Amino acid sequence: MTTVTTDDIRRKVADILDVPEAKVSPDAVLTDLVTDSFRLVELAIELQEHYDVLFGQEDMKDLHTVHDLAALVSARVVE
Amino acid sequence: MPLSEDELFLLSFYRSSEINGSLFFGRLARALKPGPIQHDLTKHFADEAQHAWYWTECIDQLGSRPIKLADAYQDRYLEAVGLPMNVMEVLAITLVFERRVINQYAKHLAVPHLQPEIGATINRIMEDERWHVQWVRDALVDLEPRFGKDHIDATLKRYRQADQDVYAQALVEYEGRLGFLSPSPTDTDRTDDR
Repeated sequence: MTTVTTDDIRRKVADILDVPEAKVSPDAVLTDLVTDSFRLVELAIELQEHYDVLFGQEDMKDLHTVHDLAALVSARVVE
Repeated sequence: MPLSEDELFLLSFYRSSEINGSLFFGRLARALKPGPIQHDLTKHFADEAQHAWYWTECIDQLGSRPIKLADAYQDRYLEAVGLPMNVMEVLAITLVFERRVINQYAKHLAVPHLQPEIGATINRIMEDERWHVQWVRDALVDLEPRFGKDHIDATLKRYRQADQDVYAQALVEYEGRLGFLSPSPTDTDRTDDR
């Protein structure tokens, strides 16, 4: 079983968004890390491609921080 | 004959929307794994960029310069339905949007005494738009095993409703500027989901 940690997601988010990893703390708000909303779409799709998981608009309602994102990806990987 | 202020606005709006579409699809084409969707999305991205160039060239030929517009039609979609968060949602919103584009361009083609440069530009773009609808529709069928046909149909239905709301709102907002467009029978609400 593959496990995904918050640190894994932090590194991946930093890589996709091309921002310093130090800026991508677990409490960092996702919308603060992107220059425009399209970047969020790009981030979501690239994470799904990388981890071979799926999530959609419904999942984004309660998603605010990097930690939330890590929890979602981690849960989907386990599923 | 020079462009009227309203015509220039509309052509600039088309140009701006094509640029936004291109930038969006370009990013997605970069994010996706290799495969048929990545392949066709990359062509789609290139087409939208080309369309923006066609409009730039058309406006130039008609003796004007494009108006710089911050707002694009796609932004209104995203405000209305929220951000698409997976490939299926992106393709579903794209299918609805592309059909709206085709309807809008068909409506513009029906304008009496349309300037030949504008007609030629729309016809050139329409050839690509038909392919856009085709490939996206086919891709959504291919995604049915992964996302479920019912879920895809429900997503399309939700986006189609939002499209009708956004378009109706835009017509009210730009009533003065769009008055030169005659009603077209192609602009009726569709009842099918694909």
